Amino acid sequence: MIVGNQKSLAEIKEIVAPYKNLLILGCGTCVKTCFAGGEDEVATLSSALRLGFKKDGKEILIQELTIERQCEDEFIQEAAENINSNDAVLSLACGAGVQAIAKRFKSVPVMPGLNTTFIGILEKQGLFTEECVGCGDCRLAQFGSVCPIARCSKKLLNGPCGGSKNGSCEVDAETDCAWQLIIDRLKALGQLNNLKAYVQPKDWRSSNAGGPRKLVREDHII
Amino acid sequence: MAKGITGIANPYTKGNCRNMKTNFKPRITLFQCCNILSKDAFCKLEKKIDFDLDVVELPCSSLVKDVFLLRAFESGSDAVVVLVCPEGTCRYVEGNIRAKKRVQWVKNLLDEIGLDGKRLSLFNVAHSDKEAAVKIIENTLSDLSDLGPSPARSVRETEAVEEKKV
Repeated sequence: MIVGNQKSLAEIKEIVAPYKNLLILGCGTCVKTCFAGGEDEVATLSSALRLGFKKDGKEILIQELTIERQCEDEFIQEAAENINSNDAVLSLACGAGVQAIAKRFKSVPVMPGLNTTFIGILEKQGLFTEECVGCGDCRLAQFGSVCPIARCSKKLLNGPCGGSKNGSCEVDAETDCAWQLIIDRLKALGQLNNLKAYVQPKDWRSSNAGGPRKLVREDHII
Repeated sequence: MAKGITGIANPYTKGNCRNMKTNFKPRITLFQCCNILSKDAFCKLEKKIDFDLDVVELPCSSLVKDVFLLRAFESGSDAVVVLVCPEGTCRYVEGNIRAKKRVQWVKNLLDEIGLDGKRLSLFNVAHSDKEAAVKIIENTLSDLSDLGPSPARSVRETEAVEEKKV
């Protein structure tokens, strides 16, 4: 899922300050799971903003709505009436959701309430970890399903750097050494021979270094 | 200054009317786990002291959501108190610990808003310890005499209080 983190209240207040009628639009999929942009976070942020503006003697009318996904037309349509009846939208979706709304409602300012951070997983309640950078050329099969690009601080492809201690990364002791995890897992799978093959320098053109990416599925285009 | 029922000097004691320093009638919202006290535990205190108390009883303190705490302030509370069971005694194992973490989160948010996190507090209270609960409310009232009314109380509401006073 896409992991995001809500911006500070001060930054959000500054972004929404020019508007009197504001729609705070939540997204009920990825960012709901990471407690950043679901129904509860929309309600909490709305309340905090109302209190903050009231304290400053300013008035703001906030409408709250959360749709299933802000990156799909099917769900965006559900918010059309609310979007059109407000001065601006503060979207609590990831960057894709913010832009999807902005593209479809040209005359309404749409602003982000989150910082979109990474593609990750819920490691345990309240802890989200980055697992994928979306490089566009997945090599997980070779590395025992542990990604050295997303999870090694130095993004090394041909073995560990030698700086890890007791399985922890030398850059951040709180992070597991990805290469320790790769070796342990390949050992357990009996696939340690995978590491004998030299890995060529990565061609980053398949990642966002090659410019904005598109996926075309002709079989689904009518 | 008149004494509260547990002996603490209280600026809001009836007869003394409202806090002479800030001249406002404090309003407290209390969220409490239903396993601690019954809703009417504060009747005597309310009769004795001039303040408003809204008690919200919850099946477990962990059901206090961030937004409930904030909305209590939105509806005009000057302070919000959360009473939870002592650690290790929650019927749902960790409900009181969850409530404690959530309250800390909202306290930080209140600081960020500029309302002062001190207006929100959480206390562990043993089952049926009415005396401790009453003392907590008295202490909160005492703190409010320094903090004054919530800056987010609506202007209209403040004006209404002023008119009534005149």
